[in-house]
Amino acid sequence: MSTDEAVIVGAELAAGHDGTTELVVRLRHPGGAENAVVLDEDVGLALMARCGASHVDELAGHSWRRIMEAGDGV
Amino acid sequence: MAYDVVVRNGLVVDGTGAPSFRADVGVKDGRIAEIGAIAPGAGAREVDAAGRVVAPGFIDPHTHFDVQLLWDGAARPALEHGVTCVVPGNCSLSLAPLKAADRQRVVGMFQQIEEMPPEAFTTAFDWSWEDFAGYRRAIEKALSINVAPLVGHSVIRLWVMGAAAQERAATADEIAAMQDLLRQCLEAGAVGLSTSFVDIDENGRPVPSRFAQFEELDALSATLGEFGRMLQCVPEFYDTDITIARIDQLSELSLKHGIPTTFSPVFDSRATPNNVPRIMARVEEQFARGARVWPQMQTRPIDVSFSLLRPSLFFARLPRWVRVLRQPVEARLASLNDPETKAKMVADLGADGGERMMGKLVVRGGDAAPADLIGKTLGEIAAARGQAPALALIDLSLENGLDVAFLAASTGHEDTDRVTPTPANPLVHIGASDGGAHISSFSTYGDTGYLFSEFVRKGGHLSLEQAVAKITGETADIWGLKDRGRLKAGLAADIVVFDPDTIDREAELPAFDMPGDGMRYVRGARGIDTVLVNGQVAYAGGAYTEARSGVVCV
Repeated sequence: MSTDEAVIVGAELAAGHDGTTELVVRLRHPGGAENAVVLDEDVGLALMARCGASHVDELAGHSWRRIMEAGDGV
Repeated sequence: MAYDVVVRNGLVVDGTGAPSFRADVGVKDGRIAEIGAIAPGAGAREVDAAGRVVAPGFIDPHTHFDVQLLWDGAARPALEHGVTCVVPGNCSLSLAPLKAADRQRVVGMFQQIEEMPPEAFTTAFDWSWEDFAGYRRAIEKALSINVAPLVGHSVIRLWVMGAAAQERAATADEIAAMQDLLRQCLEAGAVGLSTSFVDIDENGRPVPSRFAQFEELDALSATLGEFGRMLQCVPEFYDTDITIARIDQLSELSLKHGIPTTFSPVFDSRATPNNVPRIMARVEEQFARGARVWPQMQTRPIDVSFSLLRPSLFFARLPRWVRVLRQPVEARLASLNDPETKAKMVADLGADGGERMMGKLVVRGGDAAPADLIGKTLGEIAAARGQAPALALIDLSLENGLDVAFLAASTGHEDTDRVTPTPANPLVHIGASDGGAHISSFSTYGDTGYLFSEFVRKGGHLSLEQAVAKITGETADIWGLKDRGRLKAGLAADIVVFDPDTIDREAELPAFDMPGDGMRYVRGARGIDTVLVNGQVAYAGGAYTEARSGVVCV
């Protein structure tokens, strides 16, 4: 796991404002700080596909850049 | 007769938060004339409110009824829920001012948010206006409900900048032109300006308001300040830090220009438990500075829905389901029809066959679901079929071309004990119903009934008086609706008579009452006896009347 950029350390499912399931992705930054990014269903599914994940727990360890790529691909 | 209407023997909850009291309410010429003991037979029409609450009509401050009001002046089913005033034009989008050449562009944006069928824009009304005054005249022809319309920042931008509104920042001259246009709209009856940092059009492009720089919003807020009117905003609610930055921005605009501001949505989620507390901490700081930056919170819990027609995160903890459902449709069908794969998918749910995860899913209508199954739980259906719930979900979907939608009810913002401190906070504005939006995804009606059934009656988290004040007097104060929101002699006679023991929202059902037989999800009302709008009975005994007494009210 690279330590010089933010990485995904976990993800949870949540109910979204638009009536679909959303993906709440927790990121850890190089300085140790953590924050959460909420992805809508399309981007969340694209992130799982891009990371080759078939379970949300398999997102841990991937670079934050996969989120950007997933968003661009939707 | 001394009065046009007398509402007798009710428990008056006057919208101020003060203790309730028993009294009659006399109405004359559209206004509340007297509250007290009124002589028998003094009313041309008498409404028996014994055992009922008599309250000001409810105000719904966040709706998207802009289009529907053109053919349905009651904003059904809002009125039957006791709502006597709606605020459309939220999220930067209104139907005026709008040049004829730009209509199709804005229709696309509305369809993205409201999910209205195309016929709603082509067959349901005569699109005769361009300016805000013209739109006002168009809806005023047959209003049964009061309307306090916002004007949308995106359409103001589009009028002034044309296609460039979705491409770049505005010049100083363009900003000045927007101010002039906004001023015209406010003079024509707009209750404020709405803007959005989130919404997209039907092509996934940001709506025009998202291209504005702060200088533009500052200038438009200065114009709002000339009238003391509202700035409504959709911040980047998916990110707490950005939302807090927007709260600071709105606060600066509020302080600088002397305007109220409001933002939404705000809702509780177990996945982001610090979101609401952090937002409220910043809101309280800003109110302490003198800013008016009202967070709007919905009362209803969030339901999510899905079908097997497309992948869904609902299954994101079931790897085999994820792999099967992310395939193209033909391959997906082949996998779901394969007995071995199907058996493994069911086995993945564990020994209960999916009862815990899927048993409470509800089959929704509005698609290919068999009519006799609509509203039933998957657990009930599975039991009747002698199947495990997971297998029933797959087979039921296969039998109907995968076009069966399932609803997972109350999966977010559902824990009343966690949610309650926020709506009970005097700085929190109850709203964000989104009435008239997302119509083919979920029902946005009945949040007021849910407020009473869940937060007052079931949990006892709010008193009856507090709850009424939240959605009447306090809302009127926030929006500057001086004639509304309270039962007081001289004010407009917007009155709802309801049963405090039964008021609630009904189950969500599909209705095919949109133009072109378009479908939407609705919820009927329970416990609402009578609704008066400007002194006329607009709803009584479970039916709408012919009254058209609604007005544009600012």
